[in-house]
Amino acid sequence: MNRYRIPGRGRVDHDAPVSFTFDGKSYQGLRGDTVASALLANGVHLMGRSFKYHRPRGAVTAGSEEPNALIGTSRGPGRFEPNTRATMQELRQGLVTESQNKWPRLSFDIGAVNDRAYMLFSAGFYYKTFMWPRSFWDKVYEPFIRAAAGLGKSPSEEDPDTYASRYLHTDVLVVGAGPAGIAAAHSAALAGARVVLVDENSEMGGSILSDPSVRVDKAGSWTWLASRLAELRALGVRMMTRTTAIGYYHQNMVALCERLTDHLDDLPQDAPRERMWRVRAQQVILAQGALEKPLVFDGNDRPGVMLAGAAQTYLNRYGVRVGDNVAVLTSHDSAWYAAFDLADAGSRIAAIIDTRDDLRADLANAAATRGIRVLKGHTATGTKGRLRIASVRVNPVAGGRVGKPAKIACDALLMSGGWTPSLHLFSHTKGSLAWDADSKTFLPDHKTEACQIAGAGRGLWGYEAALVDGNAAGMAAVKAMGLTISEGRFEVEGDRPGTGSSQKELPTDRSAGKAKAFVDFQNDVTAKDLRLAVREGMRSIEHVKRYTTNGMATDQGKMSNINGLMIAADALGKEPPQVGLTTFRPPYTPTSFGAFAGYMRGETFQLTRKTPIDGWAEAHGAAFEPVAQWRRAWYFPQPGEDMHAAVARECRATRASVGIFDASTLGKIEVAGPDAVEFMNRMYTNPWTKLGIGRCRYGLLLGEDGFIRDDGVIGRMSPDLFHVTTTTGGAARVLNMMEDYLQTEWPDLNVWLTSTTEQWATIALNGPNARKVLEPLVDGLDLSGAAFPHMSVAECSVAGLPARLFRLSFTGELGFEINVPARHGLTLWNALMESGKAYDICPYGTETMHVLRAEKGYIIVGQDTDGTVTPQDAGLTWAIGKKKPDFVGKRSLERPDLVTSGRKQLVGLLTEDGSKLEEGAQIVLDPNQPKPMKMVGHVTSSYDCGTLGYPIAMAVIEGGHDRMGETVHIPMPGGIQRAKITSTVFYDPDGERLKA
Amino acid sequence: MLLINCPYCEETLPELEFAYAGEAHIDRPADPSALTDEEWRDFLFIRTNARGTHFERWRHIGCGRFFNAARDTVSDRFLTTYKAGQPRPDLKEAAE
Amino acid sequence: MNMQEHDFATAPVQIKELADLVRFSLRVRPEHRADMAAALAMELPQKVGDRAGFATGETLCLGPDEWLILTTEPAALVDAAREAYARLPHSLTEISDREITLRLTGPQVLDLLATGCPRDIEALAEGRAVRTVFDSATVVLWRDGPAEFRMDIWRSFAPHVRSLLAQAEAELIAGL
Repeated sequence: MNRYRIPGRGRVDHDAPVSFTFDGKSYQGLRGDTVASALLANGVHLMGRSFKYHRPRGAVTAGSEEPNALIGTSRGPGRFEPNTRATMQELRQGLVTESQNKWPRLSFDIGAVNDRAYMLFSAGFYYKTFMWPRSFWDKVYEPFIRAAAGLGKSPSEEDPDTYASRYLHTDVLVVGAGPAGIAAAHSAALAGARVVLVDENSEMGGSILSDPSVRVDKAGSWTWLASRLAELRALGVRMMTRTTAIGYYHQNMVALCERLTDHLDDLPQDAPRERMWRVRAQQVILAQGALEKPLVFDGNDRPGVMLAGAAQTYLNRYGVRVGDNVAVLTSHDSAWYAAFDLADAGSRIAAIIDTRDDLRADLANAAATRGIRVLKGHTATGTKGRLRIASVRVNPVAGGRVGKPAKIACDALLMSGGWTPSLHLFSHTKGSLAWDADSKTFLPDHKTEACQIAGAGRGLWGYEAALVDGNAAGMAAVKAMGLTISEGRFEVEGDRPGTGSSQKELPTDRSAGKAKAFVDFQNDVTAKDLRLAVREGMRSIEHVKRYTTNGMATDQGKMSNINGLMIAADALGKEPPQVGLTTFRPPYTPTSFGAFAGYMRGETFQLTRKTPIDGWAEAHGAAFEPVAQWRRAWYFPQPGEDMHAAVARECRATRASVGIFDASTLGKIEVAGPDAVEFMNRMYTNPWTKLGIGRCRYGLLLGEDGFIRDDGVIGRMSPDLFHVTTTTGGAARVLNMMEDYLQTEWPDLNVWLTSTTEQWATIALNGPNARKVLEPLVDGLDLSGAAFPHMSVAECSVAGLPARLFRLSFTGELGFEINVPARHGLTLWNALMESGKAYDICPYGTETMHVLRAEKGYIIVGQDTDGTVTPQDAGLTWAIGKKKPDFVGKRSLERPDLVTSGRKQLVGLLTEDGSKLEEGAQIVLDPNQPKPMKMVGHVTSSYDCGTLGYPIAMAVIEGGHDRMGETVHIPMPGGIQRAKITSTVFYDPDGERLKA
Repeated sequence: MLLINCPYCEETLPELEFAYAGEAHIDRPADPSALTDEEWRDFLFIRTNARGTHFERWRHIGCGRFFNAARDTVSDRFLTTYKAGQPRPDLKEAAE
Repeated sequence: MNMQEHDFATAPVQIKELADLVRFSLRVRPEHRADMAAALAMELPQKVGDRAGFATGETLCLGPDEWLILTTEPAALVDAAREAYARLPHSLTEISDREITLRLTGPQVLDLLATGCPRDIEALAEGRAVRTVFDSATVVLWRDGPAEFRMDIWRSFAPHVRSLLAQAEAELIAGL
């Protein structure tokens, strides 16, 4: 039995011990414990070291706002996670945990020397210290900062867990399952709404879990809770625990992160670790309660000092007394109840020290009954104790003067500086906050979303108030959806209402400059730092935050914001609402990258499209490259071949005999209707009216700005039907552009567009023997050069399959493209491979395709063009139908910028020494000019060219078309390359081969 | 993630089913060759970039239609959506 | 991708690829819809997402001027359309091979779809169908029953979608 555990008390299972380790030492806790509650049950308060000063720290809260007790957790290889809050991590068998920011060990830490140099590490330390000398930056300062910065250590192994995501649509989403949230969910569900109720804790109930003495509707609060939750379940409410609402986005979309396995002893097979829910609700009810504020005084961070509400939770929910001799320091009534519960559970209450002069009589009487010493109108001015509090120094305050100190021995000090409504999610929506002068806190004001805020989240205190308000919020939510429900009634006995006053740092009789009175525990920001920041000129609260780091890091100021504001406002001599709050941003609590990634990892990292031939290519050892969303066969290396050798072989085989290529990724659009030819005339630069049935033409598509957008071969199947092909990457874009013009500019045209990219598998056959391979498979078509010349198209049968057969070439060789219904793509491929055996048919990939087309000077849109290249620039003026009155982009071709001289134009390049150029390399005219040199263009394509025996390149160069034969220079790291400007057609300039 | 009402499907659906398509009510001139360079430049490039109510086009993947929307660029809220070809709506009415 | 078929009753979902179907995309002006429907002897529903059956198939309105037609008699459809073309200009394009169709059923099929569909699938009425997205793929989703769907996926997107569905199926079997 743990020293501080009360047998039978709390919601933990006293018959189910759970073993775990902390910094290598074994401990035992109970099922239902968190790491923090289990350590406290063992009397361990020291759980970590602080970030900057490496001060010893213990758990200060019992919830997700915990700034101190951050631990590393692990369960085997790849499953280490830093910065887990010990107050949230549930115990599981064999859980391994470790403290952070300590070396060599938690109880003795070298870095704590920073603490003794406190005066040096004040606000703006980084800005002031690492200024000079400049040469120190790379070698000294940056390594130092990087080594010191960051909380915990990053995991270095691949995460073996999986993560899930899900969309969810509901009528009402209730965030927070405390009394207000449960009441809201209940009334909304009774009215017939679809309700989702979520809570970040392992069980629902919120503050009820820490207050079993209260009675609701004539039952103990826990009995009431159990029956109400059962009722919600019966009403069909979707209830999710361990689920944090991390962000609240437009139009009531709330992101939830559900933790599924971290609490389980054994990992179930295939279960995701976490799931991200994207919830869309008609109405959102925020019932997130309030967060207790610490008091700011010297030594308020010593292990054993914690929030009074946290101690009450440890006692009532986990059956753990946080100390034997407990002092209570408060400015709010709520801490008194914690003192009473602890006293009743057997701890000695050393004193209740209240900063206020006027105390509630009933509370004072209850303290007197228990024999508790009460000090009203007091301040705390220091604590003592190594690694754990041993005493607190208190002084009376009268008329603004701090009187003589007294020492009160204690092994725990509970503090309460009042409560801050938890309005982080509300703030995500840009909902405005209004300062409430009475409670000295911000309350929700103007709403931007369809949401309700209920309970302590809007400053209400006590169970009856929360229940009634939650009920009303549920009613308001369903009313907005046209549902009604009568008001619920609650009978609460032994309620624990309360009020308090809000504080800046507590007054002291000592030098305020030496006080280590922490405001932000996680970032080690003190009251002195905030005042210094204001003295040094920070006026905006946002500047104060960045200068001091107050409110940063994993807790994002959940505990420190209001205290920081009170102090900064005091230093500025302004009222808090004039100073304002810093902005809360998602996520509410730290969220794993895995939860954001969801299924987007490994095979499904991103969408990858595959052709019908993809499986064959994979089985035949293809290397693949991504092209737009597709993966395409890049080259087919044979044993022992590298890419260079494989591509050279594929090029040779195609030029010498025949090559086969999977062109299925080409975009295909069926343009059909009586106005098809008119539409084509308006979209493409080329003239289409006279294109014969069964003939094809290279089509060039511009944007309205006159720059090349896409190209492809287009066949006329019938008077009213064009088979348009686009580039692989341009398919969706081109169809969208065409639809746009058709729907919004020319809705009068009788023409329709249908994407057939995936209807057809397309296989290209190129090389002098292409006809010989294809001919035996073709039925119903004469393939001879006379009957079916270059740039023809016909419907026929290939290998017994219905086909659209094109005679065209992107290689300069005799070429065909055979389209068959996609399901038959592989059948056709196999038939062609079989037929091509006699001609040593060679499958080739995209790289060989690129080389062969470059040898012919055929451009690739997006490689040799970049969105600023006109048809003139690319040498494609022959593709423009000059007699046409209009087409997309025509008017722009006369824009002054586009007809000016000196535009970058596409040319060929041959190096003088036969070296290969690098794609993207910049080109200059005079290599001896001073830097920075005037760059006149760049290399767009460059390949080793086996056919010609030397490398070739294409480039865009200013005024290039008028510089034929001139020499340009390409400065590279290894020296300057010299190249001659040539035509872009390097191979078979007269096109004899493709006419074969 | 926004919700957008498609005026053709008459359904309010998640933004992921839609694609943005630039400012609305910019008609392609019937005879571009009749325009001066300046007029053509304005048609091509000059946009209102409104702070506040912005008339813009979207396309719904579901029905494939381009349509118009008025959206407040400050609050990122849709004020209304309407079919392509319809005139700018009276937003006072739409707000109610 | 290895897709398991669970024919035991406890499987949360079942995923099955349907045998090749014959599909056409019909585009015709809304004002010609009724006449075109008469010419083709089938109903062409007016409202996006509505479906109608006819003697040898089924039609679905995908857009104001777009219908998907499933038929077992393609030749008859093509002939009837050709007959009407001069009077009722339109486009009828065969797209049988463009998509593959998965049949998705089982008690947790809504959860399965909710892993990738941002739209409220529960609100999709039985007997309707919509073009929507699953993850980053455009799909046509048909609701045939309370827990019975079909999903048409462009062929090249299918490996990605099937891989996602398999992950989601494993997750549903794990039960967390």
